[in-house]
Amino acid sequence: MQRVGVFICWCGTNISNTVNIDEVMTAVENMPGVAYSKDYQYMCSEIGQNLVKDTIKEHNLNRIVVASCSPRMHESTFRKAAEAAGLNPYLLEIANIREHCSWVHKDKEAATQKAISLTRAAVAKAILNDELIPGEVGVERRALVIGGGIAGIQTALDIADAGYEVDLVEKTPSIGGKMAQLDKTFPTLDCSACILTPKMVDASMSSKINLYTYSEVEEVSGFVGNFEVAIRQKARSVDMEKCTGCGICLAKCPIKTALSEFEEGLSNRPAIYTPFPQAVPNVPVIDRETCMKFRTGRCGVCEKVCPTKAVDYDQKDQILNKKYGAIIVTTGYDLIDLDYFGEYQYMDHPDVITGLEFERLVNAAGPTGGKLIRPSDKKKPKKVVFIQCVGSRDKSDRGKSYCSKICCMYTAKHAMLLKDKYPDSEAYVFYIDVRTAGKGFEEFQRRAVENYGVNYIKGMVGKIFPTNNKLQVNGVDSLSGEILQIDADMVVLAAATKAKPEADDVARMLSISTDSDSFFSEAHPKLRPVETHCAGIYLAGACQGPKDIPETVAQASAAAVKAIGVLSKSKLVNNPCVSEVDKSICSGCLACADMCPYEAISEKIVEEKANGKIVGRRVAEVNETLCQGCGGCTVTCRPGAIDLKGFSNKQILAEVDAICR
Amino acid sequence: MSVVASSTSVKNVEEFEPLIVAFCCNWCSYAGADLAGTSRLNYPANIKIIRVPCSCRVNSNFVLRAFQRGADGVIVAGCHPGDCHYMTGNYYTRRRFSLLKNLLEYVGIEEARFKVDWISASEGNKFAYVMNDVLEKVHKLGPNRKLRDSRWKR
Amino acid sequence: MEKIREEIKEKARQALASKEVDVILAWEKGELWYDSYPAFFTKEKDIDSLVWDSFCVNNLSKYLLEYTMTDKKIGVFVKGCDALAFNQLVQDNRVSRDKVVLYGLPCSGMVDPDKVRTKNLNQGLTEIKKSKDKLIFITKDKEITVPAHEVYYDKCLHCRYPNPVTYDQLVGETVAAEGVLDDSVRFSGVKELEELSCEERFEYWDGQFSKCIRCFACRNVCPACSCKQCTFDDSDLEVLGKAREDSEDKFFHLIRAYHVAGRCIDCGECSRVCPQDISLEKLNRKLIKDINELYGEYQAGLDPSAKAPLGTYKLEDADSFTVGEKGGKKREKNSKR
Repeated sequence: MQRVGVFICWCGTNISNTVNIDEVMTAVENMPGVAYSKDYQYMCSEIGQNLVKDTIKEHNLNRIVVASCSPRMHESTFRKAAEAAGLNPYLLEIANIREHCSWVHKDKEAATQKAISLTRAAVAKAILNDELIPGEVGVERRALVIGGGIAGIQTALDIADAGYEVDLVEKTPSIGGKMAQLDKTFPTLDCSACILTPKMVDASMSSKINLYTYSEVEEVSGFVGNFEVAIRQKARSVDMEKCTGCGICLAKCPIKTALSEFEEGLSNRPAIYTPFPQAVPNVPVIDRETCMKFRTGRCGVCEKVCPTKAVDYDQKDQILNKKYGAIIVTTGYDLIDLDYFGEYQYMDHPDVITGLEFERLVNAAGPTGGKLIRPSDKKKPKKVVFIQCVGSRDKSDRGKSYCSKICCMYTAKHAMLLKDKYPDSEAYVFYIDVRTAGKGFEEFQRRAVENYGVNYIKGMVGKIFPTNNKLQVNGVDSLSGEILQIDADMVVLAAATKAKPEADDVARMLSISTDSDSFFSEAHPKLRPVETHCAGIYLAGACQGPKDIPETVAQASAAAVKAIGVLSKSKLVNNPCVSEVDKSICSGCLACADMCPYEAISEKIVEEKANGKIVGRRVAEVNETLCQGCGGCTVTCRPGAIDLKGFSNKQILAEVDAICR
Repeated sequence: MSVVASSTSVKNVEEFEPLIVAFCCNWCSYAGADLAGTSRLNYPANIKIIRVPCSCRVNSNFVLRAFQRGADGVIVAGCHPGDCHYMTGNYYTRRRFSLLKNLLEYVGIEEARFKVDWISASEGNKFAYVMNDVLEKVHKLGPNRKLRDSRWKR
Repeated sequence: MEKIREEIKEKARQALASKEVDVILAWEKGELWYDSYPAFFTKEKDIDSLVWDSFCVNNLSKYLLEYTMTDKKIGVFVKGCDALAFNQLVQDNRVSRDKVVLYGLPCSGMVDPDKVRTKNLNQGLTEIKKSKDKLIFITKDKEITVPAHEVYYDKCLHCRYPNPVTYDQLVGETVAAEGVLDDSVRFSGVKELEELSCEERFEYWDGQFSKCIRCFACRNVCPACSCKQCTFDDSDLEVLGKAREDSEDKFFHLIRAYHVAGRCIDCGECSRVCPQDISLEKLNRKLIKDINELYGEYQAGLDPSAKAPLGTYKLEDADSFTVGEKGGKKREKNSKR
């Protein structure tokens, strides 16, 4: 005999303002199977939870329904409470009368009736709930970090520091990411390389960290604690073991026409190259599309000059298959394409550059050796216009509706760097709003205005006309209404940040979700900011949304802790809501096995007596540690021989019946 | 009062309050419904949600049972193709319900009574939009008499 | 047919004698002129009563399910449609190919007793002989010749697989497919209904379904209905009640059709055996047509190693519910999976 206890939460006024709790209570008392019911202002509070625990014992309840907020919010809370009272936690059901009821309906009567209906469905389901015991599965105590920028490096270092092995996979030939390209960092103006390169070296020196640069993750399967991953190590054409990083090959390579990715195309690099001098690992790669040897078969200079015979033209891509307990995605961001911003002349005029290009132009290791000069005629710029929000906060198709977050600060930084180099120069910043939320940020920006005399103009630039070696910037000061014309020597565009173009593919590969801008979605915007909805997969850095370095590093360490939480366990508890086969009904057609994305269902021969003989009969069998509980198999099974625990055919039909009453 | 106009007009026709059963994938559409809640978007109370782990858990039996028990409309909502939490589940959903939807239409069940859609966890707006849309259409159609069990009273 | 009959008997005798098989599954003549029903033969001497005539319409493949729990080797005679059924059972893992020896029988059609009766050809009927596209009805005192298509089952008139698609040994010579074979005839009934209004379609199907007495003959004869226990018989789950209720009749027919979607070989047996003449083939063919249109041409039972349309997917699959709506466009992004 099922004795259902129903607990109805007011959620302060969140539910009780729209749902008539008394009416629900009266209705609940008459529902079949209900032995006890109680309402309370905050069922999730300690007092509320104790109420649940105590009444389970006092009234000998064996099924629990809590009508409250979404099960995605507090199902686990109440399951724990039930468990504490000696009840199997899976005997509990939640009726979602907040998110799905009181918050979306305004008519009190209708909302009350709906709350009753949802509670009735939960009671009907709970009556059919069975005790479920989670299985256990071992944990592969190694983490995979995808992306070798500052987020990935920090995550890997933290996990390694906790004593676990980490593989760091980076697509380009060196770790370092965008941060390696930056000159100075706000708000302290310390040199980006000075704070990053030691971390890069730490990562490469750590005995716990394996770097896979020039590599990409190609396939991911499995689940938390047991991910199986295929990594493609692209052919470097240089033997990592033999190469000493002497750099002779780079100097001797006759082809020097490729645009340097690291220098944002502002200078050239050879066909055999390391992206930048401090690259980690300091082992070059051959860009096979540019290399003469690969294109024509003639050349081979690098092979000849290499003192250690490290150059290997026959090297092939290699696929590594590895297992991981946790995965951290730190794939970073890009700047948007400016093709559609013709009014700024970026595509047509060399002296209109992006913020990232500016970083290279002022950097001592950059293409100009740190001399800030115009790309067109190598002259010093006297007047520089900075345009913010190029594509950010832009609802049109060419832009992004969000704020890119870092531009206000780096533009202030750029203006100050300019003034530092050429105190007699003029800096103009066009902005929509200046956003400086962050420790020391406001002070930093004010310094640009007050100490450096940077001219901040609230307004947008309409068009730029290249005239007589100058860039005539036509804009409006929206505060004074004045139309401005500035004859600039150089224009720096704060182009919006965007998710990596391959983000959607990465998301699909990992079965995690993205938002409408292809940034990876966290499990909860406030309370689970580094987790994804896929257990064991975590996020850090700008792949989750625009972020500056301090935030990225903080998130990286947070993600590392989450991953360590998984790796530190010797066993993980499985979701017990898995499929099971009623072997007496199963026809052995194995349609379920064909459909299962986890290969959790296999053939089993059961022995049965037929015509006086023992004969084998084929049936399906579920491996409970592999099954993830999607329930797709149940629908392939016409007779319903395979069913999903916790969401059984009977339970769902009972819910349907209860709702339609 | 800022009550949405459509729901007021629904009220005016007193005798018919449609019942819509929505099967929602836990990972996207159910979360999308939660988001509609946290965003205080408004949609009619006639829609009742049943949580399933994946849209591929929804059996055609469930859909027909809901109609039998007097539901005036049924919704199945899952993750967008390619975004399935279980990797491939909704690709099967897509095939299964493409066929069922056509079959129901073929035997004379009004097209608007059975809706399948992809609603992600971030699409609270879309969730509310789809719910309002289905309700409006079903309301125009009137009660489901075609598949309903005459013995079942609601 | 007469010539082949002896060949069949000889084959069956030899197969039993040589222990090539333990059982022969064929047809035997019953008491009535149109009665050629399935029979199991285990002894050579019984083979005399084996028959192959214009009434061997019964599909023998499904009877193989009787032998799933033995290790006996079975020889079975299959017509074109029966061979498709056999493959479907193999695809559904219900029959092991290696436990069966298939004797293929080309078939140009089976005679519908109702049509014979209507033409009053059954009086004193002793035998039906085939001569090209004509059938000669022989009685004690006379012979009447009629065009074969006038007495064949409807389902045989546009048969696309008169020759078995799989067999171990073929008995007799292959025959040519007759009638209009493109989909225009096959799906014409479906198209006619599709063009009606929603209300007209409902009226039509309501009329059809309400005739149902739920005898389950359609299910029982269907080679795609091979489950150990049918969901409609599951008293615990109560998917379907026992009441004479319109909604239950509809539920039964929709789910039956849906359960064989992608696995229906379109043999027409369900319609043939329905005592209430419900147009079941129009339900089945609707699903076949939709599968063909949405996911590409597929003939169930042609290739037992193929994936059933509902057991697989393509990334770029179309759907029937989001087209033309917001968010309904197909995603064009690539995926490695």
